Amino acid sequence: METRESLWEAYLKRGFSRRSFLKGCVALTSLMGLSTDMFSKVVEAAETKPLPVVVWIHGHECTGCDESFIRSGAPLASDVVLSSIALEYDHLLSAACGAPFEAHLDEVINKYNGSYILCVEGAIATKDSGVYCMSGGHTFTHLLEKAAKGAAAIIAYGSCSAYGGIQAAKPNPTGSAGIERFVGGKPVVKVPGCPPIPEVMTGVVMHVALFGTLPPLDGDGRPKQFYGNRIHDTCYRRPFFDAGMFAETFDDQGAKAGWCLYKLGCRGPETYNSCGNLRWWQGMSYPIQSGAPCIGCSNSNFWDEDPFTNRLPKYGKLGDADKIGTALGVLTAAGVVGHAVASIVQRNSRDNLIDEEHKE
Amino acid sequence: MQHVVVDPITRIEGHLRVEISVDETSGTVTDAISSGTAWRGLELVLRDRDPRDAWAYIQRICGVCTTAHALASVRAVEDALGISIPNNANYIRNIMAATLTVQDHIVHFYHLHALDWVSPVEALSADPVKTAELQTAILNAYRLDLKVPEEVNTEAYPHDFPAATPQYFAAIKSRVQAIVASGQLGIFAAQWWDHPDYKLLPPEVHLLAVAHYLEMLDKQREIVTPHVIFGGKNPHPHYAVGGMPCAISMNDGNAPINTARLAIVDRAINMARDLVNNYYLPDLVAIGVIYAKAGRVDGGGLAKTRVLAFGDYPLTGYKGTSSGGYFDNLLIRSNGVVEDFGMGVAKARFTEVTAEDLKAPENFTEGVEHAWYEYPDNVPKDLHPWQGVTKDKYTGPKTGTPTMWETLNEAGKYSWLKTPKWKGKLCEVGPLAHYIIIYTKAAKGLLPEPTWAEQMMLKQIEAVSGVLGVPAEVWMPTMLGRTACRCLDAQLAAEVNKFFFDKLIANIKAGDTTTMNEEKWYPETWATECMGVGLYEAPRGGLSHWVCIKDGKISNYQCIVPTTWNACPRDDQAGHGAYELAMMTTHVAVPDKPLEIAKVIRSFDPCMACATHIYNAKGEKLNIISTDPYRR
Repeated sequence: METRESLWEAYLKRGFSRRSFLKGCVALTSLMGLSTDMFSKVVEAAETKPLPVVVWIHGHECTGCDESFIRSGAPLASDVVLSSIALEYDHLLSAACGAPFEAHLDEVINKYNGSYILCVEGAIATKDSGVYCMSGGHTFTHLLEKAAKGAAAIIAYGSCSAYGGIQAAKPNPTGSAGIERFVGGKPVVKVPGCPPIPEVMTGVVMHVALFGTLPPLDGDGRPKQFYGNRIHDTCYRRPFFDAGMFAETFDDQGAKAGWCLYKLGCRGPETYNSCGNLRWWQGMSYPIQSGAPCIGCSNSNFWDEDPFTNRLPKYGKLGDADKIGTALGVLTAAGVVGHAVASIVQRNSRDNLIDEEHKE
Repeated sequence: MQHVVVDPITRIEGHLRVEISVDETSGTVTDAISSGTAWRGLELVLRDRDPRDAWAYIQRICGVCTTAHALASVRAVEDALGISIPNNANYIRNIMAATLTVQDHIVHFYHLHALDWVSPVEALSADPVKTAELQTAILNAYRLDLKVPEEVNTEAYPHDFPAATPQYFAAIKSRVQAIVASGQLGIFAAQWWDHPDYKLLPPEVHLLAVAHYLEMLDKQREIVTPHVIFGGKNPHPHYAVGGMPCAISMNDGNAPINTARLAIVDRAINMARDLVNNYYLPDLVAIGVIYAKAGRVDGGGLAKTRVLAFGDYPLTGYKGTSSGGYFDNLLIRSNGVVEDFGMGVAKARFTEVTAEDLKAPENFTEGVEHAWYEYPDNVPKDLHPWQGVTKDKYTGPKTGTPTMWETLNEAGKYSWLKTPKWKGKLCEVGPLAHYIIIYTKAAKGLLPEPTWAEQMMLKQIEAVSGVLGVPAEVWMPTMLGRTACRCLDAQLAAEVNKFFFDKLIANIKAGDTTTMNEEKWYPETWATECMGVGLYEAPRGGLSHWVCIKDGKISNYQCIVPTTWNACPRDDQAGHGAYELAMMTTHVAVPDKPLEIAKVIRSFDPCMACATHIYNAKGEKLNIISTDPYRR
């Protein structure tokens, strides 16, 4: 007779102490971006909730999100996959293939109808009835519809699944789109990024797994704790922006000194993501820290906001009043003025640009 | 005769379907088709974009071999624009490339391929004490310590060493037991665990491999930190045309690259060497010896007839590929084709691939006979990538409906992959090809003054031949040989990493911190029309990107990727591609549980999204470039 064990039971079986279980819960609480007063709720959920069944399907994608997921440092991917969730269907890691694998999917979505978590990586190709993305002899459209029906929650991993991604960029040859409109009206947790930060990916699925509810989302369906800030707001180079100290090329003194990359096209000021605070590899780096301007990979239409060397605010189309154009223009002007050694010529040309941007 | 469909093939990148016809009595595969079943059209997305951004777009072909397409792309654009990159940028790119190779091969072996050889179910009958003894025995017998000459050793002792204690293996075993007992098998669900192949290895090998599967799942993330330091993240680190965006300064605490950052890279490089030398290679050999002794040397396919590679690791910042700069400057000179290796190295023939060959319109081409495209009447049957005419023609399956397939049509069109050719012939690419070519060149005296890396490759082949007790010509062109050469390639790449890291440090010490050549950063400095090609000997084999730039924008972009070479549909004149021939030379024991087919396909490490080409949904003719720019 099959029993589905909780996280606590899993710890017990592995011979771990209550103490290490509680330590694990502390890590999870902070990982999910929850305040410490939520700790007892995390413990309660981990003690009693059975290991959630996860079905992970692939549309038009590059498997970069799967790869990012297995790069998670805390929790480690091995612990998530073997102890915290039951990953019953995933093209990257599952042992099985072909007909038995497809039969297993059907079995899982029937058996756990209404209780499994559906993770979707990749866009849906809608053109010509979806013939541009076939798997198991069926269209991905068919698979998504089938898998979404009985899902308790749907997580759209990556910018492709959330917004259509690279294949949806002009001229969008396959009619690709984000999955939201194709899941029968169910709410979708969007976890954009190309790919998303590993710990953001494991954090979101663990939240859904433990609480059985979606994490607090913003208006666009993104978990607030990971997408609540612009990279610019939490960027360690922000003081250089404010002081008007900019790298003018990729290898000048400013670049070497780690000054602001705004003039090289950095999209940090319009990009909501955790690169500035969580960073990659648990604080090791993110593109800006490695000298590369942000390309805004968690924004809905970033592939068509090119060339990437063009700087803001020519691009950026945020829906609310907190407009980059206004807010940023003022800040930039302040920054440039504050940068006393900036050459007159440079400043004039910059101010002109900012004026033009204001008119836009 | 039984017709068997395997779709989806999992533990690969992307969407792949295979169909085989098997004679049940003999287990012989009489026909096989390989079909790429998804199309994204990324090369079409690239048209009219800024060539300086191409790396970012085209890198999204694949997140498993992330970096591969970015590297080939910057190389192609720099070739077109005539940019030579600074030495530091070349070293850093080589470190990122070699890092990818090590990490990708480790993930492939343990997480994508291992479950074709070992089973958690078999591991349950293993004795933890005997498994610990086996671990010790394997390390004693199969550690092949081959290192870079004159290395700068920064580590006091080997930090990453396998546990060989009964307690450790008992703990792993009880965890696997708990998963199996729960009935919720997760990633282990629904596999053909009762297949006779899983009985070939003793239970202790299964338990050891399952333990290392888990360890490597945790450790692979640490190997790839050089991408995070130099490129800001992984998957999909950042690049720049003209060099690298990670400026170097030893005087700035805030610099992208300084001493503290380089120390992180150093640790990752050393760790990767330890993981390959102490885990991957011994594990692979332990499995390989048993398979070789059981006479399992099938699945060679096209490797016996024709293999192709481009070579790699430019030693200095070179100028141009189509001008020959790339080929003049290689650490591993595997650029070429070896034919008939299966007949013995004495009868094998080597043909070099040169810069001139890349430009000649008839040498590298693609056909669409069995691909869901058609060419207009007035063009040749096969076209050079710069003349890439692409017009989609989806014809659906042989039986079933356009959106619900039963069987595909082997007599007609059946895949979204084109069929690439070298001089009208099909080739296999990959680490196996790379090694066959170096081995053949050396045997024929065509490798004057071998570099340390080439010498290491020859020593590796010799060592493996010794352990397996069969000559290289026998074990190399097989399913096993393909998997083994990938491991040797990982060991080599781990040392290449160290080699270029030492060079980077020495260069910075000598006072050179330049990472970018910005002379041709601005489009005003570019020719109105230019073309380029970028090569990279990627983890899955020879990769080429072909770019045409007009008025500062990309006018055409084509990739011929390793998986297109290997997984392509057949050609009525040239025959079957590597996947199809490999399947047709593989013995299938249980036709409705074709584990051997999945195994031989995974021995190539498929990367289906990589195999993408452009198509036009309206069915219009695209990208006709009527003149060859290099012949103008």
